[in-house]
Amino acid sequence: MNSGAFYLSVGMAVFLIGLHGLLVLQDNLRRVIAVNLMGAGVFLVLVALATRTDPVDPVLQALAVTGLVVAISATAFALRLVSARIRHQQHKTKPDDGRLSSHKDKPR
Amino acid sequence: MNYALVSVALPMITVVLLFLVAAPVYSRLQTLVTGGLVIIITVISLSTSWLALLEAAAQSTTSYLAIGGWEDGLAIRFRLTPVVALMLTFTALIHLLLALYGTFSRHGVPKDYWSLSCFLHGSLAALWLSADLFNLYVTLELLSLSAVALVALAGPGAWKPAADYLLLSLAASLCYLFGVALIYGRYGLLDIAMLTVVVNDDLITRLALLLMTAGLMLKAALWPLHLWLPAAHASAPTAVSALLSALVVKAPLFILWVLWSQVAPPVMAQQIGPVFALIGILALVFGGFSAMRTPYLKVLVAYSTVAQLGYALMALGLLLAWQQPEMNSALWLFVIAHGLAKTSLFLAAGQMQTTLGTKRISGLRGATQTTPIAMFAFAVAGGSLIGLPPSGGFLAKWVLLEPLLSQPQNWPWVLGILLGTLVSAAYIFRLVVMAFDRARINPPDISSDHVGQWLALVPAVLVWGMALAGEQLIQLLGEGI
Repeated sequence: MNSGAFYLSVGMAVFLIGLHGLLVLQDNLRRVIAVNLMGAGVFLVLVALATRTDPVDPVLQALAVTGLVVAISATAFALRLVSARIRHQQHKTKPDDGRLSSHKDKPR
Repeated sequence: MNYALVSVALPMITVVLLFLVAAPVYSRLQTLVTGGLVIIITVISLSTSWLALLEAAAQSTTSYLAIGGWEDGLAIRFRLTPVVALMLTFTALIHLLLALYGTFSRHGVPKDYWSLSCFLHGSLAALWLSADLFNLYVTLELLSLSAVALVALAGPGAWKPAADYLLLSLAASLCYLFGVALIYGRYGLLDIAMLTVVVNDDLITRLALLLMTAGLMLKAALWPLHLWLPAAHASAPTAVSALLSALVVKAPLFILWVLWSQVAPPVMAQQIGPVFALIGILALVFGGFSAMRTPYLKVLVAYSTVAQLGYALMALGLLLAWQQPEMNSALWLFVIAHGLAKTSLFLAAGQMQTTLGTKRISGLRGATQTTPIAMFAFAVAGGSLIGLPPSGGFLAKWVLLEPLLSQPQNWPWVLGILLGTLVSAAYIFRLVVMAFDRARINPPDISSDHVGQWLALVPAVLVWGMALAGEQLIQLLGEGI
């Protein structure tokens, strides 16, 4: 088994682990990480496919880099959304702290 | 082609402009100024895409544009076909209707809606034009991100559905990207027109297409992968729900159509066709059944999206199974008729919800008296969903039914359509009956917003007007790609 095929199968395995995590886990932060694992798997496959030729295929590397940019911005957005939600829940479950209900804080 | 580029670039430029001029305070004047700007931009975008449509209809060949002037193979290409131009026009039209609603309705839209909706318009327009598997991925991702951000605008209550939507949509995109990687690994190409020539029927191609299909079906909320949709669409602000249902779910459907009718070898397409058509019927029945049972107004409209997408999927499936180009017109007529009708339904539902102060369907008792125009819009648009002649929904259904009825061995499929029609009639009439119950009226909380109600009626009138342009539309779309 050459290194290309090895990384290809590792990439697929990481992708499947991520997918499994997304389907099984409940906690949103863990699910964000699971989606990132899926992404890592796909990028590994892209890079492994690129090494099949000599010199390496620049198109596949460009795809991986573009994919990374998309994944990073999406992850940042997901983290912001998840943390906002967690903060909102903590705020809601706190005993009466003299403030009105939270929807007044964030008007539509 | 130049016209089409203008209609893509304008909304994108507007996004930057709006970020620069964004004011920290929310005032009526600011809404008017921002909304006015967006309306002007969308009108220009609409007219340029109309010119692009005329250009594409006059040409006999597909026109291509290699961005940056790179040679074939490395270039990311845009292409303009009649279907693409029609979808550009349709996108600009829906965005314009919602911009009008957001500006002039009293209930309006959240402050950050404008830049995001322009971004959504721009990325969607770029998606229709893309002729490259990877570029389709990028535009699809831009579209999903702006869609999720728009859902989250509704406030804390919408953050959970928005987060679920985002995670599922990211996972779906990655499935699609995995498929793209496999296709590139196998053929060394990403351009659709070039792939069409070289693709053959083997295990890797099958695996890649299957992965991409699964991802796209999740994104388009096609049954049974639709569970995220009702929560996300029902919790979003009114105008956003309309945008999502009318436009956003159509984008993955478009890619699915490109994949199977242009990239996949016909043998494989013929094998998957009946499966798609069957899933479509199941979506019609089960989506419609959920819409019949839900106690909430917006959830009903959202489930009806799941059901109505079943028609489109069925048209796609039969197109693939029989390789009949007439089914193209059925598919895209469904998409347009459903988009217009759904815009009207969501706007009307939003109007009734805010005026009557209820989210429940049971709260609509007497709505024919308290919010008559919104209820009228709801019923008229609902008529198109059911497929009453001569609405746009009827036109699409007629094009779909014609080849089915002419061959006796196809009659079982007709049964599926009949069942779907009955179910849609049931959930629309359930609401209309409730609205005519004037004996136990639910009094309105606030005086009704007449402008908003009339604006909700506009798309409903347009969808009934589609019948007037029926012949031209069928001719335009029937030519296939």
